[in-house]
Amino acid sequence: MLEPAIHEAVRKELVAAIGESKVLWMKSDLLPYTKDTYRIRFEHEYKYFPDFVVLPESTSDVQSVVKIASSKKIPLIPKGGGSNRTGMLVPVYGGIVVDTIRMNRVIEVDVANLYVTVQTGITLKELEDRLAEHKLWLTQEQGSLRMATVGGSISTSGFSRRNHKYGTIADRVMSLEVVLADGSILRTGPKVLYTSTGYRLHQLFIGAEGTLGVITEATLRVEPIPEAREIVLAFYSDFWTAMAAAQRLLASGIGFSGAETYEASDMDELVAPKGLKALLYVMLDGTMGEVEAQVDSVKKLVAGTGGVLGAHDVALSFLTSYVEQWCGARALTGFEDVITCYVPMEHMREFYDKLWGDIGPRHGIEPLPGEKFSFDAGRYKMAGGRYWLPKGEHAWEKYQKVLREIAVLATRLGGSVQGCHGVGIQHRDNLDLEYSEVALETMRRVKDAFDPQNIMNPGKKLPERK
Amino acid sequence: MDTEISEMIKVAEACVKCRCGCCKDECPMYSEILEETISPKGRNVLIRALVNGVLEPDERAVRIAYSCLLCRRDEFSCTAHLKNAEATETFRKYLVDRGLPYLPGHALMIKSLENYGNPWQEPKTARKRWAKDLRGRRVVPGKTGTLFYVGCTFALDQSLQEGPAALAHLMELAGEDFGLLLEDEVCCGSTVKRVGNSRLFEKLRKENEKRLRETGVKRIVTACSGCYKTLKQDYPGLGKDIEILHSTEYLSRLLASGRLKLKNTPLKATYHDPCHLGRHTEVYDPPRKILESIPGLKLTEMKNTREKSRCCGGGAGVKTAYPEVSMKAAVRRIIEAEKTGADVLVTTCPFCVQTLRTAAQSIGSRMEVLELSVLLDRAVVDKGGAR
Repeated sequence: MLEPAIHEAVRKELVAAIGESKVLWMKSDLLPYTKDTYRIRFEHEYKYFPDFVVLPESTSDVQSVVKIASSKKIPLIPKGGGSNRTGMLVPVYGGIVVDTIRMNRVIEVDVANLYVTVQTGITLKELEDRLAEHKLWLTQEQGSLRMATVGGSISTSGFSRRNHKYGTIADRVMSLEVVLADGSILRTGPKVLYTSTGYRLHQLFIGAEGTLGVITEATLRVEPIPEAREIVLAFYSDFWTAMAAAQRLLASGIGFSGAETYEASDMDELVAPKGLKALLYVMLDGTMGEVEAQVDSVKKLVAGTGGVLGAHDVALSFLTSYVEQWCGARALTGFEDVITCYVPMEHMREFYDKLWGDIGPRHGIEPLPGEKFSFDAGRYKMAGGRYWLPKGEHAWEKYQKVLREIAVLATRLGGSVQGCHGVGIQHRDNLDLEYSEVALETMRRVKDAFDPQNIMNPGKKLPERK
Repeated sequence: MDTEISEMIKVAEACVKCRCGCCKDECPMYSEILEETISPKGRNVLIRALVNGVLEPDERAVRIAYSCLLCRRDEFSCTAHLKNAEATETFRKYLVDRGLPYLPGHALMIKSLENYGNPWQEPKTARKRWAKDLRGRRVVPGKTGTLFYVGCTFALDQSLQEGPAALAHLMELAGEDFGLLLEDEVCCGSTVKRVGNSRLFEKLRKENEKRLRETGVKRIVTACSGCYKTLKQDYPGLGKDIEILHSTEYLSRLLASGRLKLKNTPLKATYHDPCHLGRHTEVYDPPRKILESIPGLKLTEMKNTREKSRCCGGGAGVKTAYPEVSMKAAVRRIIEAEKTGADVLVTTCPFCVQTLRTAAQSIGSRMEVLELSVLLDRAVVDKGGAR
C-alpha cells in the first residue's frame, strides 16, 4: 500500500483526472477487488488490498490513470469480469485496479464485413444480445459468459465450447486498441482478419493477462447466426467408451461445433438407462440441411460406438442448464480447484491413471462427484476435473505440490499446464515446464519493451529471472 | 447467536468460497452502478469481513447494504441459489443494531411510520379518502367474510387510487361480501422491515395482526404485492388462521366462478412480475390467467419474465435512497417492455406502477402502465353501472 501522504495525493490526482464517481479508495469498496476466484493461502485472505479501484468509461480515462500510475511507478491491475481462477487480479503489490466494466459500449457493427468493435468491458452475454439484433453472433460460449468481458476473455485466451468449428476468442481478434504502460495508445493494426503486413501485435495481448497494457477496444470477427442448431446427447457405459466415441467423432470429419464427454453424477436426471455412467454431447450449427445430415451422422456414430441416444428435449434442457452451471456451485462444494490441462489424446488414459491413481492418494485429493473425468473433444484436447483441496496440516503446501505435479504430468505427456484459465500467480512457476529459458527470456524482453517499469500487473504470468 | 445473523454469515461464507459473480448477471443495481461491491457477491465479501472484525462498518458499508432491491433475481443466477436477499435484509438490521445511521430518506420514512402509521407522512384519516363512496363497507367484526386490505401506498398516493377503487368495484360487481378498515388500517410494516428496523416492524406487526384478527374475517385480499408478501411470510401463523390472497389470485377465482363477464378489449399487453409477488411468493400464473381471459387482449412476455423478471427499481428503500439508480432500472424495464410491441404494461404492485409510470414518462414512452385491477375493471361488463 502507498504511504498515506502519497495515497492522498494520488487520490486527488485520480479524482481530478477522471471524476470522483470513477475512483474508489475506502476499504469497504476495495474488498471485492482483493482477490478473484483464485484459491489464495487462507491466512492471506485480506492481505492484498489495492490502493485504488478506478472505473474508467473511456480510453482517455484509462490513459489518464495510466499516466498517473506511470509517473509514480504504481502497479496497475487491469480487470474484466473478475471470474478468473489463477490469481491474475490479486493486487500482490497494491496499486490501482483498472476495472473496465463500465467500458461496455458497442462502437461499430459491420454486418457486411462481419466484425464488431467494442469497448472491452462489455460482457460476452451482453455482446451476444447486441449482435443478435443484427442476426450475428460472436460464437463464444464459455461458462462464464454472463460475467466475463471481452477484454478479460482476450487477456486469458478464454475457452469456448464451440471451439471446434468457430475457434476461441483468440481466433476472432482482428485488431485491438491498447493503452500502453507509458500512457500512449496503440492500435495494433487494421481491422482485418488476415494481413501479411507488419508484426501482428494483437497476438501479443491474447493471453497476456494485462501484463503488457490495458486493452480498451477490440475488433472481433463475428458470424451470421446459423439457420439451424442442434445437440445430440448420448450415454455410454463408462468414460473410456465415451472417449473412444469422441475420438471416432473427431476422425469422422463431421463438422461439429463442439463436443465434450464426461463421467456424470446426474445421469438419472438426464433419463439415462440404468448403469450408464458417462455422456457425450455434440453441438451442431449450420444450415438446415447441413445440420440434419450431421445429426444423422452423429446418431449413426453413437449407435456404432455402443452409445444410447438421450431424448431430444432432455438434450436441449441439458445444454441450457449446463451452460448456467459453470461455477459448479462452489459455494456448496467448498474449497476445490479445477484441472484444465491440455493433454494429447493418446495420453489421456495415462494422465488420468496417474492423476487419480498416484497424485491423488499421495496428497489426499479426491475428485468431486461427477467431476473425475472430462474431455473436450474439439480442438482443445482439454482434460478436465475438479478436486477438493487437501485439508489439515500443511494443506497449502500439499495443494501447491498437487498443482506442480499435475503440471509436470501434463507437460511430460506433451501437453500444456493450462488449456484456458491462464497463468496468473497459480502457475507462474510452472511455466519452465513447457518453455525453455530462451523462450521465457524472450517473453521477458517483450514485457520489458512494453512495460520497462514493470507496472502492468506485476507478479503475474512470467516467472522471475533466476 | 440470532438465527437470522447466523444464516447471513452462512450465506456470506458460502459465497466467498465461490466468488464466481454469477449473481451480477441481470442484477438491476449492479447493471446500473457497475461496481463489484454493489452485487450480492460484493456484499457477502463485506459482510464476512465485518463479522470477522477485519473492517469496521462505515458510511460506505451502509451504502453497500442499502444498494440492493432485495429482488431475489440473483438467486436464479446463483448456481447454489444462495439466499442473498435475506442475508442483505439481515445485514441492514445488523448495521442498525450497531448504531449505524439510516440513510436520510429512510429516517424520514421511519419517522412518518412512528407518527402517522404510514410511510408517506399523511394523517391517518387520509387512508379513507379514496373510499368516499365505500363508507358503508366498513368491516363488521364477526360478520364480514373478506377484508380488502388496501395498504398505505394504494390508499395514500392519489395517482394510484384508481387501483383499489377498481378492485372494490369488481368485488361489488361479483356480489362479494367484503369490508374495509378505512382509517383504522395499520401499515403492514414492510417498508421498515426492508430497511432493517426490526423494532418498529415488530411493533407494527403486533398492532396490525391484533386488528386483523379482531375483524374475524375468513380471508384478507390485498392488491399490494409488498403487503401480500409481508402478511403471508413475515407474520408467522397469520396465514394459517386467515386465508391471505393477492388480488390476482382472488380475481382469478372470481373469473372462474363466472360472476364477472368480460367484453372484447383489443389490446397488446405485457406483464411485469413484481418481485414480492413473483420470486418472493411465487404467484406467477394468476395474473397471466386473468390477462389471457380478457377477449381481444394479446399477452406478449418480455425477455426477462417470471422468475427471471427484472425488478422495476422501486423496492427495498432504493427509490427513496438512490432515486437516480432506481429510475435507470425502471427505464431499462420500460425499454424491455417496449420491445414486445405492447401498448400496455400491466403489473400488480403499487411501487411497480409508480416507478414504471414515472420512468415511461421520463423517456417519453407511449407505454401505458396499468395496475391489473384497473385494466380488468375496464374490460368487465357492468350492466348496472355500479359506478
